[in-house]
Amino acid sequence: MQDYKKSKMNIILECFSRESIILFQGILTAESLKKLKLSRDEHVFVSEGRPSLEAGRKVSAILLNMEITPTVISDNMAGFLFFKGLVKEVNIACQYADNKGALCDTGALILAVLAKKHRVPIKLLAAERRTRFIGDPQTVLSFEGQRMAPKGTHGYVPLVEWVPAKYLK
Amino acid sequence: MFESPLFWPAYLKENVLYVLDETLVPSKLKYIPVKNVKGAVTVIREMKTRAFGQFLVVLNTFMLELNPKGDLLKHLQDVAHQLNNSRPTFPFAEVTGIVIGAAQKAAAGGIDPRLAVAKTVQGFLAGIRARRLQRVQDIADTMQDQDSILTHCNVSGELAMAASLAASQGKRLKFFATETRPYMQGAKLTTWELQEAKATVTLVPDNAIGSLMADRLVNKVIIGSDRSAANGDIANKIGSYQIAVLAKEFNIPLIVLTQPSKGVASGADMPIELRDANELLVFGGKKVFASKVKGFYPGFDVVPHELITKAIAINAGL
Repeated sequence: MQDYKKSKMNIILECFSRESIILFQGILTAESLKKLKLSRDEHVFVSEGRPSLEAGRKVSAILLNMEITPTVISDNMAGFLFFKGLVKEVNIACQYADNKGALCDTGALILAVLAKKHRVPIKLLAAERRTRFIGDPQTVLSFEGQRMAPKGTHGYVPLVEWVPAKYLK
Repeated sequence: MFESPLFWPAYLKENVLYVLDETLVPSKLKYIPVKNVKGAVTVIREMKTRAFGQFLVVLNTFMLELNPKGDLLKHLQDVAHQLNNSRPTFPFAEVTGIVIGAAQKAAAGGIDPRLAVAKTVQGFLAGIRARRLQRVQDIADTMQDQDSILTHCNVSGELAMAASLAASQGKRLKFFATETRPYMQGAKLTTWELQEAKATVTLVPDNAIGSLMADRLVNKVIIGSDRSAANGDIANKIGSYQIAVLAKEFNIPLIVLTQPSKGVASGADMPIELRDANELLVFGGKKVFASKVKGFYPGFDVVPHELITKAIAINAGL
């Protein structure tokens, strides 16, 4: 039986020095990722991007093509990494930006607020252009084609959100 | 009053413990028969039950293990050890310690430890049920007419029952539930039991909480907790920390259902479970992401007390 006093968590966390993780969120273009000139040794984490998982899949594929092995997290796990002081840089997918803020793929606001609180630098990278701002509510009720929520449940799927400039400085 | 099956998801009958398999809800309400501590550890570790269900399983498991071949006290201590090491974050040792203490005290006083264990477990369960029902009323009291409430993961029946109670008091409420990847407790359990309670619930992806708060679609957040520290920090399902940070940023009150304990001084002392990354990367036996991709799955995170607006505590008698 496993003794959790010698927890796997402690062992894993020791592998990451403080402020060593680069976090990616949203459906980024290959061009924007390649411009970063990431080293193969970087600890790169990618948010999966529910409900489509398109962000996690596409960004992971691009990174693998760059010979970087990404670690996928679900969209609710970034806060843990910030709380542990492990994040050194955040990169979020941006549709449009001006001096008041940026229109980003949903989830960016969470990371921007966390980055500001934990004083982690944040970068806006080009996102694949979206033509819809609200997703099909049915998409959040299922996972990989399998129904999760009971009949009658409503779904709400914002695909983009506004990130005020105060979180991007 | 409406009572959710998740409020009391395990029961003992003729020396078999029946545990609701929460991984099958809402498709099925199936109870797993547990006959010994090995089975109990399995249902906990495989997350067939979780949150309050774990508490019920831990206490009732002692009732299954009262007739060993060898020394009873030594056996009960071994049972406690196995339960304490089933998962790391929930404070199992605080619960098993009460039962072991009662057994030891009885033995020292010349009383049959079996009677002491049975009395302790039954008394504990009766007390905790009454306190949880009281907390349902306390939660309902915090709900105001026209509230739009965000919740995360699942709080074992209490939120849905409070919603039902508040509705009976004429309060019109709306709920948003995060889906709570990767186990989808929000999508599967919370939406189901809120609907059973005749409440209006909308499911959102975990990444949508910022939009909800910035757009003022929610005015209150209510979550549970798996563990409390002496300073008021709590540990709860992964995702709770970022919800708490965003709620603070957008001046939305965060209400947490807690089980006060002085077992650890602060959240920093709480062990956080790291679960198998395949639970994130694989679904229905198929890889969700490219095979070379790695995964990282901490099961819980810590919410510092300064981010909590109000704790609705339960006194478990620990």
